[in-house]
Amino acid sequence: MADIEKKEESSQSGYSRRQFLTGVGGIGVGAVLGGALLKSILLPEEVLAIPASEGYLLVDTRKCSGCTSCMLACALTHYGETNHSLARIQITQNPFGSFPNDINIDQCRQCPYPSCVDACPTGAMHADAKTGVRTVDEAKCIGCERCVNACPFTPSRVQWNPQEKHAQKCDLCVDTPFWDKEGGPDGVRACEAVCPMGAITFSSEIPMQTDGGYNVDLHEPIFDTLGFTGAGGVAGGH
Amino acid sequence: MANGYTGKILKVDLTDKSVEELSTADYEQWGGGHGMGSALFWEYCEDKTISGTDPGNVVTIMTSPLSGTLAPGVAGRTEITGIGIQAYPIGWYTRSNFGGRFSTQLKFAGWDGIVILGKSDTPVWLNIVDGKVTFEDATDVWGLDTFETQEEIWATVTASADDWNALGGSRDSGRTTQRPAVLTSGPNAEGYGPMASLIHDAGNGAGQGGFGGVFASKNLKAVSVLGTGSVQVADPNALMEARLWANEYSFAGHRDSTFTTVGSFPFATSPGSTIGEMAPGVVSRPQGCVGCIRNCRARTDKGEGNESSCVDFFWYDAFDRAAHGGTTQTTAKAADMIQKYGLNSFAMEALMLYLGDLLQQGLIGPGAEIDSNLPFASFGTVEFAEALCQSILTQTDIGADIALGLAPMAAKWGRLEQDTTSGILRLQEWGLPHHYDARTEVEWGYGSLIGERDINEHDFNYVAYWTPTVCALYGVECEISAERLSEIVAEKTAPYNDPMMMDYSDEGIYSDAMAKTVSWHRYYTRYWKESILYCDWMWADFVNPYREDFSGLTGEGEPKFLNAVTGGNVTYEEGIEIGKRIWNLDRAIWILQGRHRDQEVFSGYNYEVGAQPGTTTYEAPYTMPVYENGQWSYKSVAGRMLDRDKVEAWKTKYFELEGWDATSGWPKRETLESMDLGYVADALEAAGKLGA
Repeated sequence: MADIEKKEESSQSGYSRRQFLTGVGGIGVGAVLGGALLKSILLPEEVLAIPASEGYLLVDTRKCSGCTSCMLACALTHYGETNHSLARIQITQNPFGSFPNDINIDQCRQCPYPSCVDACPTGAMHADAKTGVRTVDEAKCIGCERCVNACPFTPSRVQWNPQEKHAQKCDLCVDTPFWDKEGGPDGVRACEAVCPMGAITFSSEIPMQTDGGYNVDLHEPIFDTLGFTGAGGVAGGH
Repeated sequence: MANGYTGKILKVDLTDKSVEELSTADYEQWGGGHGMGSALFWEYCEDKTISGTDPGNVVTIMTSPLSGTLAPGVAGRTEITGIGIQAYPIGWYTRSNFGGRFSTQLKFAGWDGIVILGKSDTPVWLNIVDGKVTFEDATDVWGLDTFETQEEIWATVTASADDWNALGGSRDSGRTTQRPAVLTSGPNAEGYGPMASLIHDAGNGAGQGGFGGVFASKNLKAVSVLGTGSVQVADPNALMEARLWANEYSFAGHRDSTFTTVGSFPFATSPGSTIGEMAPGVVSRPQGCVGCIRNCRARTDKGEGNESSCVDFFWYDAFDRAAHGGTTQTTAKAADMIQKYGLNSFAMEALMLYLGDLLQQGLIGPGAEIDSNLPFASFGTVEFAEALCQSILTQTDIGADIALGLAPMAAKWGRLEQDTTSGILRLQEWGLPHHYDARTEVEWGYGSLIGERDINEHDFNYVAYWTPTVCALYGVECEISAERLSEIVAEKTAPYNDPMMMDYSDEGIYSDAMAKTVSWHRYYTRYWKESILYCDWMWADFVNPYREDFSGLTGEGEPKFLNAVTGGNVTYEEGIEIGKRIWNLDRAIWILQGRHRDQEVFSGYNYEVGAQPGTTTYEAPYTMPVYENGQWSYKSVAGRMLDRDKVEAWKTKYFELEGWDATSGWPKRETLESMDLGYVADALEAAGKLGA
């Protein structure tokens, strides 16, 4: 576990470790994180010194058209083929649903305290030393899928790749062998680049988030003039 | 091989419930979509003179190498072919096309298309999950509407919505978060087949041809497909770069500063253009098909009108406004009705206009010449729309006649000839609803007449009709002059490249150049739009306001995406040539069905009544490019009617341009052999229908 340093428990916190991980990792958040980049934090049972990701995909589901171009671009740039199942960002939608609950953008949050990293017994799932991006060392993955099951979100942001037989997740395009562009926090992300509605953008700071998703409004004024008065607003991402 | 094709076509025989894999490689010369569909139909439909409801009818549901990729405005389209049951008096071999997710899921499941033969002895739906194909009992869903049917099938195929579902028995079988893509007819569609569409998701309809009725005639309710595989792309980096290149000429690259040029530009148009048809106060999002860069539809906070567009709304919105003084939620509810019931929106629009005229003349109602107890006092309300739809679904009241199709309905009422001559029954050719006007935008009419259906191809419609018409309505001068338009079109219409192709003057509409316009249009659409499946609402991109010289992406864009995916080197012009080959194959099928040039005549009103708004619910006065007295200009051609003799003379010019026998309209052997269609010439000759 090269990128995770575990130290002896020293906290006097009243929170259980599980409560904390669930809280800031995803579902049932209730609380709000935001602003400062957190580099490490004390946990009840141990201290995890996990570098924060240097970037986050920020999404506004109210702008999403459900075209799944992001999914196609993700698989294309990582694997050289288009495939919804290999996309590390997922768009789930119900054609008969009502706005805004008809679409979710299911992207990795690059959690400050990533359950997937914590669950991995081999260190395959780790925070990249250079960028902090939570990603998979495929050579170390033994296929136990603990990371897949540990992700607190539904659907899991960590997936099993049945073709190459390893876990995979969003790496902010740090490694896109089928695209010439430089990716990662300092580069270009494929999903963001192709989204025709601008529903995906990038932030170097941990986004404000609640139970409903990111508290973000990405809509440009044109959306109002087009009649999409529902585009943008609060709680726009999952 | 990474070339966009999965390599397999699924052949399904409903009669003995067998399936077989065909090699896509044998059909790649046709591109995909319609071209492959026609080739497969030619091969597997043994008797092409049968009706569309005959078990021998062969239906193809085809994708393209670009399906499921990032090519903009193509990835989600699906093409259907087969003998239709809507056209009158002969249900021609025809096509329809729909968007959404179906073609993508079919590709991900490992199939380039489906060929459906025979007839099941019991109601079935086809369940395709990756490489596994099963025939499922459709007894319980046969009477359900299209939304209910899809929800039932979703629940059957996947365990949970919006979570990862494993589709096989092992850890290494595929998983997906996506719902199955289902294509289905409405409830008991065998009863109203000529009016019956196929619907996918909330607002993707294959309406023309009555394929909902064709499905029902085969005891086939629906086809569901879900896949976890990939589309192999030859040059992934080139495809990504092409997509980002396209951003620069679309809304995607200009969200902060959209174009201000007045007009109608398909590729560059902002999303959700029909959202304005919704009732005030509706909150919505843009919505698009897989891989779309434009996203022309919406989903709403009321969940009504989701994914509908254009005539899905226009079949009722004018009547809603007349009844309520403005657009209300009725319009969205009416759109949902035809989607749920699987009814053809264009036919419903023509029907509403007809009923309105009959009502005004006192010819329909309780005890009237056409006896009906529909609630005509509520014309334009939800109540009336529902009553009308239900009458068709149950074949009660006048619905029993409407269910036959609009032309047979009027014939049964003894009014077909007189009402298509006066024009109150707006069936422009082949008993099919008037869409855009043959008297003014003639390439639309000619293409439909020489073909087999309302072409519904907006390539010239955007730039030659809507843009100058909108400019005229607003009283502004078009930024793209008529002369500049003629130059742009000439650049992009190989092999003809004739600026006069844009001359819609009283002389121009009967000219050699207009024969070229129609010919090019048939070729371009048959290949690039109906075989490679570029969406009609984005392509052809003749004029693009984000380009300095206004010259759109067409010519450059189509092969750029295709070759990035296939690794081939098909030029734009070669695509046009393949389109010509497909067009000739289709023509041969119609000839075998009984086509002769003498049948190719518009309905009487086109020759007797001047063109005017009101023929449809959405038209505006026609302003078109004309070349008169040595000058290009935009000019109103409203009020024009066609001259019968001149139309016939134009047909002769057109047939000669195509290398067809001008006396019959039948292709000649040398013409067919020049396209490596000697076997088609043999079949025509055997039938005594080869052009002399």
